[in-house]
Amino acid sequence: MKFGLFFEISVPRPWGPETEYHVYQNCLEQVRLADELGFDQVWAVEHHFLEEYSHCSAPEVFLTACAMITKTIRIGRGIVVCVPQFNNPIKAAEVAATMDIVSGGRLEFGTGRSATWTELGGFHADPDETKKTWDEWTRIIPKMWTQERFGYDGRAFSMPQRAILPKPYQKPHPPMWVAVTSPGTELDAADRGMGSLGLTFGGFEEQEKKIAEYRRRIKYCDPVGEFVNEQVNTVNFLFCHEDNTYGAKTGQRLAGTFNYLAEQLLAARQAYPTRSYPNLGLLPALRREATSAPEGQIPEGLAIGNPDRIVEVIKKWESVGVDRINFLLNAIETVPQEEVLASMRLFAREVMPKFAAKPDPVAVSAGGAN
Amino acid sequence: MPLTGTRDLATLVRHAPAVPKLEVDRWELPRAQVLQLMFEIHDSAMTSLIPRALHPTIPPTLVMVATRVPESPVGPFVLAEVRVGCRSGARPRAFLARGYCDSAAAIEALGERWGYPLQQAAVTLEKRYDRIRATVDADGRSVLDMSLVNPEPISGNDLQYLPNLNLARVIRDGVESPRLVQVDPDFVFHSSDRGKPQLDAFEADAWELPGAVVNHPVSASFAVTDITMPALRYLVDPAKGPLEAVEKVATG
Repeated sequence: MKFGLFFEISVPRPWGPETEYHVYQNCLEQVRLADELGFDQVWAVEHHFLEEYSHCSAPEVFLTACAMITKTIRIGRGIVVCVPQFNNPIKAAEVAATMDIVSGGRLEFGTGRSATWTELGGFHADPDETKKTWDEWTRIIPKMWTQERFGYDGRAFSMPQRAILPKPYQKPHPPMWVAVTSPGTELDAADRGMGSLGLTFGGFEEQEKKIAEYRRRIKYCDPVGEFVNEQVNTVNFLFCHEDNTYGAKTGQRLAGTFNYLAEQLLAARQAYPTRSYPNLGLLPALRREATSAPEGQIPEGLAIGNPDRIVEVIKKWESVGVDRINFLLNAIETVPQEEVLASMRLFAREVMPKFAAKPDPVAVSAGGAN
Repeated sequence: MPLTGTRDLATLVRHAPAVPKLEVDRWELPRAQVLQLMFEIHDSAMTSLIPRALHPTIPPTLVMVATRVPESPVGPFVLAEVRVGCRSGARPRAFLARGYCDSAAAIEALGERWGYPLQQAAVTLEKRYDRIRATVDADGRSVLDMSLVNPEPISGNDLQYLPNLNLARVIRDGVESPRLVQVDPDFVFHSSDRGKPQLDAFEADAWELPGAVVNHPVSASFAVTDITMPALRYLVDPAKGPLEAVEKVATG
């Protein structure tokens, strides 16, 4: 089991001239500490226009800053929105390769397609198209990284042969992931040999079934990249405190605040009738999980409370097949920064040693000539 | 925390319907036709259209709905609503300040049972192969003319309808108080289409939505559906903050 951080970078109103600066500095401080404490990875989302909920529209910049202030923690682009109105596959490949080089081969490359009308509408993107363009991009980006010159004549993207430079530092290329929110996307990940970057919790039982099917399917995959990245990554909230009651209460406040903000956004499905978005995306599932416990009880899957409780929760996630857990640490600064840092330290001291890291299923080499 | 509404409903509520009792019979409305268009609106009205109890959506939206009911306990009617997309706490809702209906009997029944704040007008809903169009003419003026252009079939599972929050005067124990009445019908779809939204007339003031300026089309859908008008479950006190405003309706 590996542990990481997951940043939406939510910024509370009122937005004074220093507010975003302070939130970003707090996030960077958390990343620096995570690296020192032995967390394995830090992921940052790409979101646009999501007031308060996420002010993380340039994650490549934030993650590069993370790489520059850390030594070993891996940096997860979580995710590149593979929709032409948002990004361009050539630029996405180039930026990712550059991040991989400057971080010394620490990039994890997440892909996805956005789930809100707030964003899709803002970019004039067609919700019916996003799954198709995501599929096309995930197949061409690894070729851009590995072929000396790349040319392509596709459905939504074409280009004449050019050398797309630089090439990633990791060889053959960074591990590739798919953000999984809609039902069945974990199977899309499996069929393409990509890691499952889960952004919803579900119950243990539901996750166990999905993970088992992912593992079964990926054995027969047609990988989009040069290797199969068979890994299951999930997201969770973290607040660890010696006092279980205080830890749980603070953690539930964190989860509740995060989910309350999330619900203010306009999910693609709420605005635009399309088969392309069969559920509401990340947000309702997170909310359901955070509020599903009976009054006075802690929702079963959340990593909140004292170290013993959190160990118990993570053991369960491990037992259903999860390889990595990424933690949301804060939402609109509802938890004071000192408490966030103390929670991370306590988690690293009391919880992390109970979970020895397993070797990666597929080794990715770093360095060497293109 | 998220933005909240700033609208004072004191004047508006005087013209809202009285809801004399909160236990109402369900209505079954077979094979109703529902045309729904969604538009984004200018952010100058982001908080001014809704009361303190509600959050605006991001971006702010209007949901325009025309419903033709061929069969009901009060006979056939056509209902038109222009609602403000919002959140009651974390829950997606649509606030209705005023709607129009072509049947006096339906206006009275929908008002006293579910708090629909309706006025009488000529309301039409026409389904053609190239477009589905709804119009509202009130006091000799066209206050709404909207169409779904180029309908194409989709699954009813792909449609989402927001529960209403209807502005009403709720009477409990002889005491009248302004409340938003939550109405969340059940739908069983027979067919559904989507297409391009087109708005040819919209007079914001006629819908008690002063300052609402439509600036971006989002979607249009049409469905033939059985509707079950529900029992009342929740009220919202418009004057309270979003976290304190929701009241569960006591069941007897």
